[in-house]
Amino acid sequence: MARLLLKFDTAILKEIPLGNRPVTIGRAPDNEVAIDNLAVSNYHARIYGEAGRLVIEDLNSLNGTFVNDMRVERATLRDGDLVQVGKHQIQVDAAHDAALPVDAWRKVAAPKVDETMVLDTQERREMLRQAAVAGERAQISPTRVRVPTLRVIAGKTNQSEYVLSGKLTVIGRSEMATVRLRGWFAPRVGAQIHKRDDGYYLGVGDRIPKVNGRAINGSTLLCDGDVIEIGRVKLHFGYPA
Amino acid sequence: MRIEVGGNTHVGRVRQNNEDAFQIERSLNLYVLSDGIGGEEQGEVASALAVDTVVRHCLESENHRAAPLFVEPRPDLSERTNRLMSAVTLANRKIFEAAGSQTEHRMGATIVAVWLQGERLSLVHVGDSRAYLLRGGSLEQLTSDHSLVAEQVRRGVLTPQEAETSELQSVLIRALGSEDRVEADADEHLLLEGDTLLLCSDGLTRMVTDPEIASTLLTIESAQLAAEHLVELANDYGGHDNVTVIVIRALSGSTGLFGRLRRWGK
Repeated sequence: MARLLLKFDTAILKEIPLGNRPVTIGRAPDNEVAIDNLAVSNYHARIYGEAGRLVIEDLNSLNGTFVNDMRVERATLRDGDLVQVGKHQIQVDAAHDAALPVDAWRKVAAPKVDETMVLDTQERREMLRQAAVAGERAQISPTRVRVPTLRVIAGKTNQSEYVLSGKLTVIGRSEMATVRLRGWFAPRVGAQIHKRDDGYYLGVGDRIPKVNGRAINGSTLLCDGDVIEIGRVKLHFGYPA
Repeated sequence: MRIEVGGNTHVGRVRQNNEDAFQIERSLNLYVLSDGIGGEEQGEVASALAVDTVVRHCLESENHRAAPLFVEPRPDLSERTNRLMSAVTLANRKIFEAAGSQTEHRMGATIVAVWLQGERLSLVHVGDSRAYLLRGGSLEQLTSDHSLVAEQVRRGVLTPQEAETSELQSVLIRALGSEDRVEADADEHLLLEGDTLLLCSDGLTRMVTDPEIASTLLTIESAQLAAEHLVELANDYGGHDNVTVIVIRALSGSTGLFGRLRRWGK
């Protein structure tokens, strides 16, 4: 049965089997393929069967719908076509059989096992596609692009609010620090906040910070509304509404 | 903070050539390690080119702040990290061009590079050479391998145990020189006094377990001796591949007269 694959970079986020009903794509949650990204219009495009063909239609989206890098209003889709909606891609897979056995990996990579080899783009796509099919837990949730802020509730700092847009935010007296603490007894590098794929983690510096009154034990995932304490400084961690 | 570094490389017990390369650039606090891929002498050429290109590009940028960047700078990364990304991008291009049209002699290389600036650490990598951080007795892998088995683990197809015995461990999904563009991973960390960083090729991690690596780094104080001992361990366990390690220790940097006298006495 034919299907669509929703992708972001190399990751396959979702597999959508094609039935008789049209598939709608957009930012609104009631779409078949809902993409939570500002580059995507609420009702962006739809894909449906017509006279034995598969057709894509742009629904007057702001940023457009692209098929193999060409902007389209309406187009016939073929096997392997790549539809671009915002930063996401939808791949058309018309000749899809049921899940491929994991054995299929071996065929591609069989020669000289001991020798390091590098897959080219085509091979890599194929293998990753197979990996996604073989893995039942393969659906990775799309990364949300939400940038949290630190708001200063107490203590002396160089700003009252910080947007955590960087990979690493250092909190301390050091010149390297993003959140600069003031005062004689402020720690040089009191704590750090590290952005990872799944969120923001608070880690120790030369002090052990507290979250909601409790000293942390190693890296700790920060949640909306957490209060971080480093010495006399209190910071409120929050995501934009 | 004071930095002590040690590095070592060995061909291993099985291979004929050492296709690994590393460089410790103390003037910049820059540490680079690469594992070459390719038949005949291609792997050696690729890894040497990778290390050399990265170090040169970073040195140049120190002398000319406005030296061109070979990547679009990412706003979430520091200037240093973007510079390191640029260096790795340039290394990819050079290896890709050196390989030319000879598809039979495809060559490539992994890379892992660390650049320290005060307590900030920039880390960029491609492939399955790794960076680890030992802090407070526990060893954490800072990089995720760009290998097929690692990707399978991330996607839940394999368990980490199955991955260790997979016959596809040598299949990389990203490397320098295999295509005209490369996607490198970049990260930043905070380095604290007492931390130890380890950069290594897969010749170490395929032979020596993480707990053994941790206990070596915890028991041998000298960075150079620890690096040598890790290489020895890999060889004792069979030395199936070239093995290379760089050990970087962040020590207390008491710069007062007492601290200087104490170090002078050593």
